[in-house]
Amino acid sequence: MRWLSRPWQLAGMVLPALIIYSLYFTYPVVYSVLQSFTDAKAFGSSTLVGAENYVSMIDDPLFWSSLRNTAIILVISLCLLLPGAFGLALLLGRRIRGAGVLRAMVFAPNVVAPILIGLIWVFILDPHLGLLNELLRLVGVAEPPEWIGGTTLSPYSIGSVYVWQTVGFIMTIFYAGLKMLPGDVMEAAELDGAAGLKRLRYVTVPMLRETIGITTVLVITGSFKIFELVVQLTGGGPVHLSETLVSYTYHVTFGLQNYGYGMALAVITSVLGVSVALGYLAFLRRKATAA
Amino acid sequence: MSTSTRTQVRSPQGDVPRRRTGRRRGWAAVVAYVVTALLILPMLWVVVLSFQTNENILRDPLNLTELNLANYQVATQTLNLMLMYKNTFILASVSVVVGVVFAYMAAYALTRMEWTRVWLRNGLRFYLLAGLAIPVYILLFPVYRLNIELGLFGTYWALILPYIAAQLPFNVLLFTGFLADFPVEVEEAAVIDGARLRTLAWRIVFPLMRPVVATLLIFNIIYVWNEYPFAVTLINDPTMTTISLGVAQFQGFWSVDYGAMMASATLVLLPQLLLYAVFQRHVVAGMTFGAVKG
Repeated sequence: MRWLSRPWQLAGMVLPALIIYSLYFTYPVVYSVLQSFTDAKAFGSSTLVGAENYVSMIDDPLFWSSLRNTAIILVISLCLLLPGAFGLALLLGRRIRGAGVLRAMVFAPNVVAPILIGLIWVFILDPHLGLLNELLRLVGVAEPPEWIGGTTLSPYSIGSVYVWQTVGFIMTIFYAGLKMLPGDVMEAAELDGAAGLKRLRYVTVPMLRETIGITTVLVITGSFKIFELVVQLTGGGPVHLSETLVSYTYHVTFGLQNYGYGMALAVITSVLGVSVALGYLAFLRRKATAA
Repeated sequence: MSTSTRTQVRSPQGDVPRRRTGRRRGWAAVVAYVVTALLILPMLWVVVLSFQTNENILRDPLNLTELNLANYQVATQTLNLMLMYKNTFILASVSVVVGVVFAYMAAYALTRMEWTRVWLRNGLRFYLLAGLAIPVYILLFPVYRLNIELGLFGTYWALILPYIAAQLPFNVLLFTGFLADFPVEVEEAAVIDGARLRTLAWRIVFPLMRPVVATLLIFNIIYVWNEYPFAVTLINDPTMTTISLGVAQFQGFWSVDYGAMMASATLVLLPQLLLYAVFQRHVVAGMTFGAVKG
């Protein structure tokens, strides 16, 4: 189709998307990175301060507590979400009456706005009027724990709600991966005496390596992005000790109007998220070639 | 029950394995039902609370004897839910239609048209897809400033343009994925019949992309429907409140009336779930395609 390749025709097709994307995606990213090297505040002029913003993170206790909270959420997601979603996919992949409906129901929380999910869980986790503590009191726990609002349990609660919301999403990807496994290999494994857990360990899991890689990257990048749940469940409090990296960045940028520092936090958060995900992928790939 | 178990033990050997798998499947079904019920319980809880009086929620939320519709009256009278739906609908319809059309055009050019400079095509493809790796949070403040500089602050365009940009990498990914597998013969035949670019792209190939388009439309609608970070940053006009902004305000708005808060939450929750129930096939199909191919 050589005649199609007239430059103005190509340009006409590509430019609309390219212009919006460059203006509202690329330009903001570049601007953020540049701004992170200045002392920009609100709308006044700003001067270059070099890496000062990045250096001051080291002395910022709230940065470290946000990092810690993000790490807790990340670990909870990796430990609960991946095995849980995989187990669910195996379970709901069986020939169960109404399995299709069950899969659709498990996925449903992903369609609901995360901000609404947060509100819903306030009424379960709230120490005073939440369902969970009401049930605990009912079975005789005199002083049930402070799931949200305190400093110790908040990140664990946020992580758990994130697991609850996302498990159907990850489960669906695992389910698709399981469906794509060649049936004859599974049958051969069964005939060779590899049934149940043995087949799972030596046949199913190794063949799903690609799917496991994708889901892990999604879980890692997803954990770094949690924002609405923090806003709704704890508002970052008390005294910003339950902030995550993203919510703390938002607080610094729009609350304190400390743009230079906020953008430095945004850059570090993005770099951390992407590099953890990429690092994990590289690790998987090396393991694959070594095996 | 006990007699049937006993007969099973006494039955001939060959019968046992089949019965055992049958029983194990039954056990799996029970676990599956229980797990699913537990997972959807949190959403049901909100609906249950929305029928209770405020005093009941504070004192004894598990008491389900006194249920009534009073909260819904309060919620619909005080909150302007229709306004939130209208705003979200405007944002979603414009950004989703424009976003999908632009993404399709770019993807068509990148996969179906001939480029004299292949490096340019590959570079552009990489450039458009690179956005998948970048979290939108880094965009919030620069986009806020950009909107002010372009004079878009306070208009719907302030959200529509970033929504299009943020969804573009995923839309291009899905379109290029499908277009790459699409047979070229149909277009060749049309070219011989004298078809030009507009006919090829829009009247011949686009209709055949219907499943992808459906998936993308639903996906983009869900995205705009639930989007919060951009909305909370870029909107400060109460008449432009979107659904997720409205939900975020429930807590402050109903700081004492939890029943009304739950009724409002239910009024937002149920349409979302209903919409999903109708289109869930496309949602799940698009999600697995994007994930497995990406």
